[in-house]
Amino acid sequence: MKISISWLAKYLEIKENTKELEELLTFSGIEVEAVQNIPALPETVFSAQVISAEPVPKTDHLKLCLVDIGNYPYPEKTPEGYLQVICGAPNCKTGMMAVIALPGSTLADITIKKAKIKGIESNGMLCSEKELGISDNHSGIIELEPDTPIGRSVNELYELPDTVFELEITPNRPDLLGYIGIARDLSAKLGRPLKLPEIDIPVAKCRAETMPLELINKVPELCPRYIARLFDKVKVKESPLWLKSALIKSGLRPINNLVDITNYVMLEYGHPLHCFDYEKLASLPDKPGIPAIVIRQAYKDEPITTLDGKNYILEGEEMVIADGIKPSAIAGIMGGNISAISENTKRIVLESAAFDPRSIRRTSYKLKISSDSSYRFERHLSECSAPDASLRASQFICELADAELCEVVYDNYPVPEKSLILGVRPSRYAKVIGYELEEEKIKDYLQRLGLKFLRYGIWKPGKITNISEIRELDSETLKQKNTALQNQEKAHYYLIPPKRVDLEREIDIIEEIARLDGYDKAPVKTKPQHIMDRHSYRIKKVAVDYLVSRGFYETLNYSFSEPELMRKLGYQESDYELDMIFLKNPQSSNQSAMRTSLIPQLLQNLAYNLNRDEKNIKLFELGKTYHRQETISYEPYYLAAILTGLNKDEHWQDKASPINVFWVKGIVEELLSLLHLENWTVQEAKKPYLSQSESAAYYLDNKELAYYGKLTAPVAENFDIDLIELKQDIWIVQFSMENLIVATHNLEIQYQEIPRLPSVIRDISFLISEEIPYSKIVKTIAEVDDKMITDIIAFDEYRGKQIPNGKRSLTLRLKIRDKEKTLTDERVDYLVDSVIKKLENTWKITMR
Amino acid sequence: MEEELKELVKQAESDILVCASYNDLLNIKAKYLGKKSVLNSLYAKMRDLPSEERPAFGNLINATRKNIEDLLEKQNKAIKEDAWKKSENRTAIDLTMPGIFSSRGGLHPLTIIRREIDEVFLGLGFEIAEGPDIDDDFHNFDALNTPPDHPSRNLADTFYLEGGGLLRTHTSTVQVRVMEKYPPPIKIISPGCCYRNDKPDPSHSPVFHQVEALVVDKDISLSDMKDMLSQFASIMFGKNVSSRIRPHFFPFTEPSAEMDISCVVCGGTGCRVCKYSGWIEMGGAGMVDPNVFDILGIDSEIYTGYAFGLGIERIAMLKYNIPDLRILYENDLRMLRQFKGELR
Repeated sequence: MKISISWLAKYLEIKENTKELEELLTFSGIEVEAVQNIPALPETVFSAQVISAEPVPKTDHLKLCLVDIGNYPYPEKTPEGYLQVICGAPNCKTGMMAVIALPGSTLADITIKKAKIKGIESNGMLCSEKELGISDNHSGIIELEPDTPIGRSVNELYELPDTVFELEITPNRPDLLGYIGIARDLSAKLGRPLKLPEIDIPVAKCRAETMPLELINKVPELCPRYIARLFDKVKVKESPLWLKSALIKSGLRPINNLVDITNYVMLEYGHPLHCFDYEKLASLPDKPGIPAIVIRQAYKDEPITTLDGKNYILEGEEMVIADGIKPSAIAGIMGGNISAISENTKRIVLESAAFDPRSIRRTSYKLKISSDSSYRFERHLSECSAPDASLRASQFICELADAELCEVVYDNYPVPEKSLILGVRPSRYAKVIGYELEEEKIKDYLQRLGLKFLRYGIWKPGKITNISEIRELDSETLKQKNTALQNQEKAHYYLIPPKRVDLEREIDIIEEIARLDGYDKAPVKTKPQHIMDRHSYRIKKVAVDYLVSRGFYETLNYSFSEPELMRKLGYQESDYELDMIFLKNPQSSNQSAMRTSLIPQLLQNLAYNLNRDEKNIKLFELGKTYHRQETISYEPYYLAAILTGLNKDEHWQDKASPINVFWVKGIVEELLSLLHLENWTVQEAKKPYLSQSESAAYYLDNKELAYYGKLTAPVAENFDIDLIELKQDIWIVQFSMENLIVATHNLEIQYQEIPRLPSVIRDISFLISEEIPYSKIVKTIAEVDDKMITDIIAFDEYRGKQIPNGKRSLTLRLKIRDKEKTLTDERVDYLVDSVIKKLENTWKITMR
Repeated sequence: MEEELKELVKQAESDILVCASYNDLLNIKAKYLGKKSVLNSLYAKMRDLPSEERPAFGNLINATRKNIEDLLEKQNKAIKEDAWKKSENRTAIDLTMPGIFSSRGGLHPLTIIRREIDEVFLGLGFEIAEGPDIDDDFHNFDALNTPPDHPSRNLADTFYLEGGGLLRTHTSTVQVRVMEKYPPPIKIISPGCCYRNDKPDPSHSPVFHQVEALVVDKDISLSDMKDMLSQFASIMFGKNVSSRIRPHFFPFTEPSAEMDISCVVCGGTGCRVCKYSGWIEMGGAGMVDPNVFDILGIDSEIYTGYAFGLGIERIAMLKYNIPDLRILYENDLRMLRQFKGELR
């Protein structure tokens, strides 16, 4: 719902600025979804009269206007003292009151300049609402009331500057679907008085017998209340500017005074109204001559044409407001075109009713009509807001349409709504919301919301039909609350205003109090602790789960070791790994010290399983090693793995192959890539138990992240494994978890936009000397254009027949993409040619 | 004219029926319906006809066109269906031959249990804290209100290290370290390796794993501890498993308790596992001794707390029916493979 602040200020003094008001509304549960500022316009934009408007020859719509701007000084007035202005609006006509913006005025989007149009000088512009920034209406220029004085500033005319809020009203609060409802809520929040409009009921001048009406309500369960007032001598015309301006700012288009009045009152009270042309209402067959209003369900296949000219065939369930013969309106949703207000309407019926929300919702859904009226009725409007809306509209109809009110008021209200009595316990408030609130404050908030305080009493669960059921607590008993009331809870009892259809239980009242006192008042009990190192927990889990996914089984070993095991690995006395922490009271000599490496035990685990006829073994352990530090020990985590045999389970079709160095290398590099680690460098592993030629270590910032390598035969021998007899290699991989944890600490995964343009794939095959490593080839290619060449994939390597000694054949697959535009063959060819030339020049390749 | 067109359709039909590919069909379509087709040229002829004959003539051409289009579509469908059929049974397949597995490995059963415990307590709002295995007398004993002459400090019970320090005998050391560093409220579990100088046997190991829980806040009572234990027991072992506590003694808790869970094997009626008592001992528990708080500078008048400890090996043995603790440390692949899939 759109509300303008200047209109809202009619019901409540507003001292807050826009920002503060926005906060206030949002934090009392009425979310401000958008704010539209309508700025004040310069003083050079004001009312003026079009003295003459003559078509400009040889143009189809331009008019040459002489505009009377009164005494306003302007140097280039015509000799008669007018302003010459060219206007293209279709509604521009002689004699009208319009809005002129003089040259130099800055409007919402443009600055007006003196101009020459078709060779004719134009001094300023006659403006539309859109040009002034007050609405989107650009169908013509503003036409002010004829009696508007010349020279009246638009700021005054349109109450500018103003701000329009777009509010999100939650479905439980139909009472907020009008200005007064919003103002009431704000008044309760701010403790500022609500100023309700004073309604002067006009004296009924029209005699009942001159305007008879037959009102029949056949469906009181669907239409619990129907109020009709009748008016004679109605003058249908344009609304005054204040009314139009108010509607425009709230997003409604002015139509005529009657429609505008019903819309205005709907926005004010939140209660939709409807006007019928009395003379178009047919009478019932048995009551000829008396126009009828019959509230009923539609007959099957009954047709109706609505105000907007659309035809509907009703199915028979829809509630309609019919005359004596046919439907005049789809109840609560939209009026019909036959009984609609026209320029010639003289006598009207004003409807203010309450309808069953479910029925409205069903019909609105079925017919796919959604109107401001159905929007409100389907959210359940109280029967009790119908009279005020009717009265308010009556006042306006008499004032603005010069109508005469008929002395008879029809109020069909067979079963008056019972007011609800609800109790609320302050103790319950504290229990649910989390803090105690002074009773006076509770009372104050609720009274401001329009709840009527009835009495203090002992809490009584269940429905209260009459307040006399509750024994009143006198002030004496109240004082003794610590004794007499010990086991019984005190409650406040209130009469709930019917408008608040959402207040049905104690908890609903508690919500209201909490909302008004502010959710920020509820204390936060514990501040969050951050004892856990969630990052390291996650990285360890990712690493372990990765190894499991590659076929490894986890082992767990004691933290004990002995120096001899380290010597067996090939470490020297001077090595860090032999600087061990010894136990004073070990259980055995092979458990004499804390381990400094996970490898020996993994080798023992491997030997144990080899001895039990296992051939294909992949094991790992995530564990600590222990090192002496100054005061406290250093206990870093490692993830070490050992593997031998086939790379996977044997399968008749998907053949397994022996684990080789690239499979092992892949383990290291894939986990590093899963952790989004790049830019590492490769160095020699330098582990005494690994083959020099088939091992490597990965470093980042001088910290070892991981290494892999092939176990040497002598070390295997030390652990009772005969590699010659085994006929398969043993591989070792280790990750330094602490370094991985540090390296990934500031990692942030950010979504990258998916490239819109497809990439192109090109393969290149060439012979190259064995001495040139792949990594250098890749680097050379990247140097050509690392933006367009997004991927380089080693597609094939071949040695043997047809390949000269000392050379190998390589096939590389290049993925090429341009972020900006679709690649042409020419560009791709050029790029690939450049790559080939560069490779030829740098590494003397020969293309195959 | 009508006859001629009928003939045209016939001719088109015979051409269409021999088409074996979509491309063939496109050629035929061009021949009969394309710009240079006979049919197309008839449209031009229509202009020469008297206006009253035009509609009938137009209808005739359109119907012919529609006929040919239908024939084309029909043949197109036939070609596709034929191709699909062919692609379906190219070769004989023996669906009973083994499928391709990913050769996944598996976690150690103790890790599976530890992760489950982590998950349960993380879900209950706990955080996980870790600390060093090698610790000192203060964190392992003194801060936990253990008197200097307490038997657990013996060499026969605790491993001491050359150059000072000891191997923690419980992960309560982590609780001490957390309380040293963080003010209450504290709600942590500390899982990890512990060491006691026990000779390996079916139910003992010098190295074992523990999870301890510590909760410190205002208004924490024994009742809260019971609540947490019963939650843990029912989540971890099944919703029908109940827990109880019995008075016991630990230096760092007062009152202290041993906690039992109803036997997960017999449900409480008595069996070999529970030694016919219906209950299985799960670990120690109790309210943090005010002395512990005093030592660590936490106001024991404002704060109270509870702690309890669980043996991970014991839970694993119980859940998986493992008869001997030592099996867990042999790392025999035939044992490890049984727990693949990390189910519990």
